[in-house]
Amino acid sequence: MKTLHATAGYLPGLRAEHVQWQTLHFESGQAAVEVTVPVLTAAQMKALALRVKAASQAHLKTLSVSHIIEIVDRAVARLLDPADPYRQQADRLLPVISGYDAEMVRLGLTSFFRSFRAAQLHRFVAEDFANPKLLDEFQPAAKGGAIRAFGPELLVQVWAGNVPGLPLWSLVCGLLVKAGSNGKLPSAEHLFAGLFARLLAEVHPPLAECLAIVWWKGGEEPIADALFAQADTVLAYGSNESLQQIRSRLPVTTRFLPYGHKLGFGVVGRTALDAQRAPATARLAAHDVVRYDQQGCYSPHVFYVQRGGKVSPHEFAQYLATELANLQRRFPRRAAALEDTSAIAAWRQSSELKALAAEGGELIGAAESPWAVAYADSPQPLAPTAAHRNIQVVALDQLDDVIPLVAPYRAFLQTASVAAEPAELFRMAQLLGQAGVTRIAAIGAMTAPEAGWHHDGRFNLLDLVRICEIEQSAERAADRIAPYADEESP
Amino acid sequence: MDASQPVLPASISELVQALLAFMAQDGCTDAQFDALALRLFAHQYENNESFRRFCQGRGATPRRVHGWRDIPAVPINGFKELTLSCQPAASCERVFMTSGTTRGDVKGRHFHPTLAVYDASMTRNFARRFMQGARSIRMGILFPDESAMANSSLAHYLALAVREFGTADSRYFVSENGLDSAALYETLGAVERSGEPYALLGASYSFVHIIDELQRRGQRFRLPPGSRLLDTGGYKGHSRELPMEDFYALLSATLGVAREHCINMYGMTELSTQFYDSGNAVVPSVKSGPHWIRSRVIDPLSGREVAGGEHGILVHCDLANFNSVTTILTEDVGVETDGGFLLLGRAEGAQAKGCSLAVEEFLQAAKA
Repeated sequence: MKTLHATAGYLPGLRAEHVQWQTLHFESGQAAVEVTVPVLTAAQMKALALRVKAASQAHLKTLSVSHIIEIVDRAVARLLDPADPYRQQADRLLPVISGYDAEMVRLGLTSFFRSFRAAQLHRFVAEDFANPKLLDEFQPAAKGGAIRAFGPELLVQVWAGNVPGLPLWSLVCGLLVKAGSNGKLPSAEHLFAGLFARLLAEVHPPLAECLAIVWWKGGEEPIADALFAQADTVLAYGSNESLQQIRSRLPVTTRFLPYGHKLGFGVVGRTALDAQRAPATARLAAHDVVRYDQQGCYSPHVFYVQRGGKVSPHEFAQYLATELANLQRRFPRRAAALEDTSAIAAWRQSSELKALAAEGGELIGAAESPWAVAYADSPQPLAPTAAHRNIQVVALDQLDDVIPLVAPYRAFLQTASVAAEPAELFRMAQLLGQAGVTRIAAIGAMTAPEAGWHHDGRFNLLDLVRICEIEQSAERAADRIAPYADEESP
Repeated sequence: MDASQPVLPASISELVQALLAFMAQDGCTDAQFDALALRLFAHQYENNESFRRFCQGRGATPRRVHGWRDIPAVPINGFKELTLSCQPAASCERVFMTSGTTRGDVKGRHFHPTLAVYDASMTRNFARRFMQGARSIRMGILFPDESAMANSSLAHYLALAVREFGTADSRYFVSENGLDSAALYETLGAVERSGEPYALLGASYSFVHIIDELQRRGQRFRLPPGSRLLDTGGYKGHSRELPMEDFYALLSATLGVAREHCINMYGMTELSTQFYDSGNAVVPSVKSGPHWIRSRVIDPLSGREVAGGEHGILVHCDLANFNSVTTILTEDVGVETDGGFLLLGRAEGAQAKGCSLAVEEFLQAAKA
């Protein structure tokens, strides 16, 4: 087996020989990667945070947003270039670390990076700032006076998950609001964030010390605290339990932006279920399932399918199974460890038992098949599957029937895909939005949120900044003491 | 048979008699085990509709099942989703229920038309593996009694232990008010002075509480030679999680019982027979059962046995499960060894590695 080596993290100003390193081992198919990750002391963590703060004060906060976008665009252009060494490194190592099929990772990264080109980044800023110049200078406010938006001095980002490249979202958010950032690597994908930080430093050397990428083992609280103490804003992804732990360690004056794990689902109306559209819809649904094996917060776990179309919900489930089988040939599912296979087996067995207990249910897919479709003929509440290409299809009489099935899980709702005619789309969106859904996408686009999306229904840039305003009274008072002030005027 | 025993149909009592006779043997050949397993399979296939449909889904019929290994293993969740009983549930002497640790309020149910088989299985095996030939011993029980938990198989198991093997001064230390630690420590002190062997039996988490409390008080006991401990059931969120090595080291140190005499019982509501180890000087210890239960280690997806020495999920074929299903698929990770298997813990729901909610976290949240 070929073993590749890589160093994770990005520690501006710290010499490698002054840092302790730990080696993590990843294996997938024919390749293995040894990733060395830095283990900092609390003192080193604090020094790093101070350095990032100082550098971003000098080199990042002084740039205009347009200039920052231009720099990120140049970095992203290199990530989109298959011949670029950074991109090649990502293509080579990320599949081994994550276990996903290499071709799926390559295609996924390309489509992901396209959301970070200049035009998309401008849109991203414009989504949150009607007047993007607010990030650069004081601008007239509608109520009178002037306002300006300031990003954090130090933004700490705690990432989770193993979807390759994901830290780019929050890294770019931080850059767009001119925040120095210190990111903590996720437990399962250590590579991309450091790679991006090095690339950015190469593209625009003054930014070299405005980002740092660190790591610590779970349970190393003093080290985490040393970093958190320096942050004015902490943005974190993870399970509610780990978010709770982080929150409990932050000073009350620190802004905390938690992004918890979520559960996606799809809704297929009968109008999308004629003989022509149904197979195509099933193919798109299968893509949503296959992309990163349902590990994303936006990934689907249940498709609710309306009865009464030319193609029945049960037939739709069979189409979906066929498409999953096809995609398995193109993008084989990654190998699963015993803890995963037993979770998959448990989910399938419980679907099988439910099908035995109630008429009309069926588990489609052989015991050892890398995918399975559980079909239920009666309403089933939203619930996570075992992921890894295991998907639930539930038949419904009316699309509205989906609302009581998902509404109890409001805290876990984010993406819903809808296949329905326009009037129905907007009517359902109204109901779904009320139930807690924050993003409605087409089936087939669930795993690719568009540039400028509102992650978990939040304003992702606005949430990071604070506004400073010059009130009219200050402007008027200033006028009165101007050298050119006219003594007579009020 | 005493008058409280339920009246069973003739065919069932014939089966029960055959089973009791089989269990009374000193051992059995592979062919004898298979013969009884197939007889029970045919009976359960015939008389339990849910199980029959489950088997049909897997293409398993009495005609195609040739040995105990061919009997489809029912996931323990089946005891929640289905009514796995050949006799009408209402006519059963006792129903044991799972404590429902993962699925909120849905409890698995195991119906026993008569407890004669369960009791024979328990006492015969317990006499050999825990009592090790001793006729009786003074016992302390760290679990509520049977009247407080009528549907707990563990409460019944411990009641049997006290009734069949405990001396008259044996007693319970757990009531609805919790653990009566004052009484417990007083008893342990008296036992220490008496020099008479003593047995403390109960849930593993109760022992963790005792370890913690004794450590806090800076107190320890040295139970007299011949004393032994029996823990079972893991911690199930009742106490802090303690690595097995630390658990037995602390248990032995705080109660003064050599680790060879700290015995762990591995049992399940879904079974009628228990497994034991021969002490925990080395962990994980080898678990084994009597001749009327056999185990396999399988890949959970394919259902095929894994190669020797590889980790997999445990399947048990318990002939004492005459009324439900003999063969169950657990959620326990194990590995086959000489003379039994190592129990490596529960196959916890996979950790959320992605940003999608994992089943375990969802269940936690749904319960809250």
